[in-house]
Amino acid sequence: MAGIRKVAVIGAGVMGSGIAAHIANAGVPVLLMDIVPEGAADRNGLAAGAVARMLKTEPAAFMAPRAAKLVETLNVEDHLDRLGEVDWIIEVVIERLEAKQALYRRIDAVRRPGTAVSSNTSTIPLDALIEGMPEAFGRDFLITHFFNPPRYMRLLEIVTGPRTDPALAATVADFADRRLGKSIVRCKDRPGFIANRLGIFWIQNAIAAADDLGVPVEEADAVMGRPFGIPKTGVFGLVDLVGLDLIPHTTRSLRAALPAEDAFHASYREMPVITALIAQGHTGRKGKGGFYRLNRQGGQKTKEAVDLRTGAYRPSAKADLPALKEAKGPKAVLDLPGRVGAYAWRVMGPTLAYAAGLVGEASDDIAAIDEAMRLGYNWKWGPFELIDRIGGAYVAERLAKDGYTVPPILAGLDGKTFYRVENGRRQVLTAGGDYKDIVRPEGVLRLEDIKLAAAPLLKNGSAALWDIGDGVACFEFTAQANALDEQVMALLGQSIALVTERYKALVVYNEGTNFSVGANLGLALFAANIAAWGEIETLVALGQQTYQRLKSAPFPVVGAPAGMALGGGCEILLHSDAVQAHAETYIGLVEAGVGLVPAWGGCKEMLARWQSNPAMPKGPMPAPAKVFETVSTATVAKSAEEAKDLLFLRPTDGITMNRDRLLADAKAKALSLVEGYEPRKPVSLTLPGPSGALALRMAAEGFARRGIATAHDLVVAGALATVLTGGEADPLDTLDEDAILALERASFMRLVWTEATLARFESVIETGRPVRN
Amino acid sequence: MTDVVIAGYARSPFTPAKKGALARVRPDDLAAQVVRRLVAQAGIPSKDIEDLIVGCAFPEGEQGFNVARLIGMLAGLDLGVGGVTVNRFCGSSMQSVHIAAGQIMLGAGEAFLCAGVESMSRVPMMGFNPMPNPALHETRPGAYIGMGDTAENVARRWRITRADQEAFAVASHRKAAKAQAEGRLAAEIVPITAKGGPVEADGCIRADASAEGLAALKPAFQQDGTVTAGTSSPLTDGASAVLVCSDAYARRAGLTPLARIAAVGLSGCEPEIMGIGPVAASKKAMARAGITADALGVVELNEAFAAQAIACIRDLGLDEKTVNIDGGAIALGHPLGATGARIVGKAAALLAREGGRYALATQCIGGGQGIATLLERV
Repeated sequence: MAGIRKVAVIGAGVMGSGIAAHIANAGVPVLLMDIVPEGAADRNGLAAGAVARMLKTEPAAFMAPRAAKLVETLNVEDHLDRLGEVDWIIEVVIERLEAKQALYRRIDAVRRPGTAVSSNTSTIPLDALIEGMPEAFGRDFLITHFFNPPRYMRLLEIVTGPRTDPALAATVADFADRRLGKSIVRCKDRPGFIANRLGIFWIQNAIAAADDLGVPVEEADAVMGRPFGIPKTGVFGLVDLVGLDLIPHTTRSLRAALPAEDAFHASYREMPVITALIAQGHTGRKGKGGFYRLNRQGGQKTKEAVDLRTGAYRPSAKADLPALKEAKGPKAVLDLPGRVGAYAWRVMGPTLAYAAGLVGEASDDIAAIDEAMRLGYNWKWGPFELIDRIGGAYVAERLAKDGYTVPPILAGLDGKTFYRVENGRRQVLTAGGDYKDIVRPEGVLRLEDIKLAAAPLLKNGSAALWDIGDGVACFEFTAQANALDEQVMALLGQSIALVTERYKALVVYNEGTNFSVGANLGLALFAANIAAWGEIETLVALGQQTYQRLKSAPFPVVGAPAGMALGGGCEILLHSDAVQAHAETYIGLVEAGVGLVPAWGGCKEMLARWQSNPAMPKGPMPAPAKVFETVSTATVAKSAEEAKDLLFLRPTDGITMNRDRLLADAKAKALSLVEGYEPRKPVSLTLPGPSGALALRMAAEGFARRGIATAHDLVVAGALATVLTGGEADPLDTLDEDAILALERASFMRLVWTEATLARFESVIETGRPVRN
Repeated sequence: MTDVVIAGYARSPFTPAKKGALARVRPDDLAAQVVRRLVAQAGIPSKDIEDLIVGCAFPEGEQGFNVARLIGMLAGLDLGVGGVTVNRFCGSSMQSVHIAAGQIMLGAGEAFLCAGVESMSRVPMMGFNPMPNPALHETRPGAYIGMGDTAENVARRWRITRADQEAFAVASHRKAAKAQAEGRLAAEIVPITAKGGPVEADGCIRADASAEGLAALKPAFQQDGTVTAGTSSPLTDGASAVLVCSDAYARRAGLTPLARIAAVGLSGCEPEIMGIGPVAASKKAMARAGITADALGVVELNEAFAAQAIACIRDLGLDEKTVNIDGGAIALGHPLGATGARIVGKAAALLAREGGRYALATQCIGGGQGIATLLERV
């Protein structure tokens, strides 16, 4: 098959519609079909309703509402023949073999030969699915198992059968990788594949052990979460998220499919408390709450949790476990005396053993099993990485001591680790006992790999500069949360000099969860507390100068963000020549939230962008009004696509769907700008002056009267309005960049020592949210 | 003195801004379709018309330039017909009528097209470049006060409860929905050609409006206020036009006049309570005609907000049964520049339909003014 230009998804449930939405996110048209319910007024109602619902739910399935236009909502009674238009058909119907096979026969009658057909089944083996189907159907068939929600979960498990055409499977995998941004893990045709088989085993053990040892749910989640690099929802919070009803359902089908000797059976146990909760409609966050709920009785919101022994709700209390806080690393947690250590081991011991048992069974590749848990369950470390951290011998010995069977790969470890670095390359142990290089998919460039093999060109406590080949350097933020401080600016200054001398282009990129959440507020608060106003102003000026130097540097600069790019993290992108953003990038100038104005050139650059936007009406006010609307409300774009609407990104900036391909794409973009590169010319702005500022202030006051803006919001809005309208400018004046930067600095300094702004700093540092004052 | 009559009335459907069926229609095209139809209905040669006087509250963008002249060309009027754009905010197209009446009495023409237009989808309230004078704002902040805040002021000062406002809004929707269902609005509506097909019906009316539904809305302008989106006129797109001419011309051209203009009135007031503007303006007009409110058989009182409409009804001592018989702006919509010509035309048409001797059309104006037109049966 030539490529995938159009897709069909059959089944408009939560998964099917989510998959369709994500295909639309990739800019690919998709047909979404479901059955026609008896007596339905709208024969496409199931699919149309699903799209309408997705446009309302958060987190959003679509990266921009306009993507929904690419989803055509149809039904399988009237429109099945339209499957002839598509290159890939994804079946996402009920998990019943007969239903799926009946559908396949209807699909096969209308599809073009060579059209890929895949099932999103989570438990039914491929062998069973294609039994009795024509030979040609088997050649075009595979399993593509997405995780929920499909936009956000990066894992895609792919299972092919002996008859599957490898070229067809490669086309689907390549599309899923580059266009949908998925990391592909190839699995053997075994029940539950990798992530759910191990994940459900872990959940089952964690619930049973909590019940046996009398561990309250809050404590179980505290132990299972952060210490093991697992999201802080732990186990019970995770089950609430995915839905309690899913657990017995998946467990049942896994038990039916797995052989009797599989350890899954031994760990299985009836859980009357779950049955009872589901019966009461407590199916988790989608229902009336699950193990946790918000009780709104009496007009108050109280967080409650289920007592596993009685099944009744009680007020929830945060687990108070000082020993757990003290414990450094997973092994220390396993060694804790008493209930905490015992619980940690009762869950993780068997889980790690079960993972080891999956080698050769679900996959031959240890790294693939780790990848599946990292991307399918958001574990920071996969099970084998965890064993390396804990110590293979420790795990094997303790398992043996407790009477568990120690899987051969763990028993035969003999002091080795599952991973090692050899000659600057990361290697993984194979089932045969040798190591092999971990090979990235073609075209993937990871900074973490580069860092294993080389020393930085420049480095200090908050940033580093790397050579990423072909004459391109990469500037990396390295501080906690990739916060920006004086050291980042200092190293960026040095980097500009070095790149000017020895390199062709610069990419600003890192592999943190967030590109950068902005300036280090803790440092700013500290400086304010000791009244170091001069130092604060110097840092503001240093940031302005450094970003201006970056903008006028004689080489192209490409910003490559992923995750949050806020405040100063947004401003460095605004000063770049181009941006190559991961699709899941959340950009915003959020300074107003903490009682400040953007002062590293953010106001200046946003004004320039809106003023030169051909779609804007003429005159001095539209650009300031637009920037004011976005910045005074600290609006953060909910995707790279949405960032284009807000002009945080330009129409020409690139979007990369696969996180692992971001650096390579950014580097290519930088190299494409090298020939004939000329730095951008400074802009001049025509702004309305005080009358424009008044109009903006009046708008903010309207929000205050409605109770939306607070008293200090008005102070901040006033200071922002002054910057955006050019201070005392007359509309006949032309202001240069320095004039706007001076206004940014002045407004920033006027705000930074107000008590209300400092109170916002404090609350952000303590609680992560600014106080409303 | 020369008698001045309203000899024809037409309007476009009124539809909600941004999401309504007229959102993507240029305002100049919209008004031109209404003007063209009104002239065709009257069956008069357009060269008889002295001037096309178009009211518009934010005359910029697509309703900018001298939009009246451009509407005349788009409508295919004789090039000898003039074109002037008038701005008195919400009173703009009622002012068009007053200008025409004055010109006719002056002997400066016999027939005038008085139109109004506003695309609140395509030109925002306040315009694209609001630049208020800081010095004036300092000495008289009310000069630029938001309309919703004036409604809150009126509600407080005249003690209009939220429940009263909501009952008024529900009644407006009921009356409009009934008029629509009984086909009483269709006669005045010119179907508009839009990209998505013809637009024939008003889009703001909610037949299912209920007191319970309105009671659930949050205050729209002030946290502790009583005015909601449901008791305010919606942002609307629309155009309207009336044919104003001398009685002698009407007879000569074979037109049937709907009503005679008996008097007009205009008055300024505190900008902070602009909604009460109709009271003084209407009193002036009635005094000039030598009548009192009990002589009014028909009243078209623009419902910018339920609060100000109720306050005006009380202060003028109006009989509620005579007010906005086919519904008001809360239900129909209020495309600022187009409302004046609509309510003058509607009052004239209702006078012809319902009987009675006098009809009043009046409205409040942002910045603190009221304007009124008193009509008499012919």
